[in-house]
Amino acid sequence: MSSTVSAESLPGADPVHSAPSASAGKRDVWLVFWIVPAFFITFGVIFFALARVMPPPRPDVTTDQMAHFFHAHALTIQIGFGVLILIVGGAGAANGIIGYHMKRMTSGSVMAYAYMGAMSVGVLPGCLLVAFCFLTAVYRPNRDPQLLALLYDLGLLSYVGSLGCFSTMYFALAVAILYDKNQIFPKWLAYVSIWQIVTEIMAMPVFVSKAGPFAWNGSISFWIGVVVFGFWLCCVIVFLRKATDRQPVDEPHLD
Amino acid sequence: MQILAEAEDLPKTANIQTQLISLWMAPVFGAVLLIAFVAFPGFVPPMSPDMTAGQVAQFYRDNTAMIRFTMITFNLCGVMLLPFFMVIVIQMKRMATQSHVFAYCYLTAAVSGATLYALADIFYLVAAFRPDRNPELVMLLNDMAWMIFIAPVGAFVAQNVFLGLAIYFDDGPNPVFGRWVGHYAIATALAMAPAAGAAVFTTGPLAWNGGVSFWLRNGAFALFVVVMSVVLRNVLHRQAVEEGVAR
Repeated sequence: MSSTVSAESLPGADPVHSAPSASAGKRDVWLVFWIVPAFFITFGVIFFALARVMPPPRPDVTTDQMAHFFHAHALTIQIGFGVLILIVGGAGAANGIIGYHMKRMTSGSVMAYAYMGAMSVGVLPGCLLVAFCFLTAVYRPNRDPQLLALLYDLGLLSYVGSLGCFSTMYFALAVAILYDKNQIFPKWLAYVSIWQIVTEIMAMPVFVSKAGPFAWNGSISFWIGVVVFGFWLCCVIVFLRKATDRQPVDEPHLD
Repeated sequence: MQILAEAEDLPKTANIQTQLISLWMAPVFGAVLLIAFVAFPGFVPPMSPDMTAGQVAQFYRDNTAMIRFTMITFNLCGVMLLPFFMVIVIQMKRMATQSHVFAYCYLTAAVSGATLYALADIFYLVAAFRPDRNPELVMLLNDMAWMIFIAPVGAFVAQNVFLGLAIYFDDGPNPVFGRWVGHYAIATALAMAPAAGAAVFTTGPLAWNGGVSFWLRNGAFALFVVVMSVVLRNVLHRQAVEEGVAR
């Protein structure tokens, strides 16, 4: 504590341990990378198979049918969303590693920070609020059906209708890729990201339309967005892997 | 910590001083939050999920003033702990033998966790705003308040896992934290993880008023803030000495 200790003041003191301090290394980047597909596969299983949010239940049903939805799927909702609120920090791994590789681009840090900021906020309206609504709905099975219907609408509109956080994130990613000369991600991924903003705009009518292609389970407002998002997510994971693979081991850590 | 006179106006000194301010916010606002916690009539002991809608509504009618005191204090002071967690981010970014990807993961997880904390108290305050509402509605608000206050531990668990991993990967000759801090961060994550069960279980240790979900979870969080305040103070002192701004 009293004397200054730094790497260069101990030349060769411990060659095994002082060697890696010359470079940042990237074992940690690989570790975080593998959390990302593991998290999104679990996420997919929870939303498709357990919580029954994907594909979303219909908006054009009676109050009793909404109550029946919660009664019929109570157990799987509790398993799925119970696990989700425990592992949701995996989204932090995805945001962190994408932000990290964006900071390695020559386009400056501002879009990396915008990406991380938008996605940190997006966790609540984009996936946790529907979990709380559904978990609250099934927590007491004999709640008034009118209240169950309220939680049904609140959860699903929040989940399908959280548009801004993701639009901002896609915008930041697209701009960063287009201005990057390090070729961290391919240029065409920027155009896919911009197309993603179009799908978010097409989802705007979910707040108005109760049935048809523009409802929250509609072919245009929901399905086109989901298909493009699935494609985009697979591309991002593949190119995160490539970016991590191509990163030199001796690249210094970021400012 | 004694700042050297010749270093007083240097930017690197300001970097230490702003971190010290952020660090001291933790014990100050931690004490305020603890007072608010103890003052809440539904925390010691915690309200049971077994209460009927009528009892819940009666609780909000009888204790409106103290509920407002605690939850307005939580609202105002809870997120004041965020600068404390940002000191951890800064120190993770000083780690020499890694890429700093963990620091960014920790940062985004901390922000997501803070949004949840900022939301929970609103539900208590809305329930207390018109306690004469239909008791079914008061109970719905109370359920969401408790669930969002206790159950969503995922962000904090992830923060501590990222911190623990970063400390394990910081294996150069001059690590920022002692290795035991990594073990301690992981242990805190494990202690808090079961509280996710509060979203599902209505009785037993995993219910929101249970020994595991309420006392172990909140106790582990409070202890973590206390222990890390001391650890970070020592880490900051070492950084200040290394950078020649303090003795």
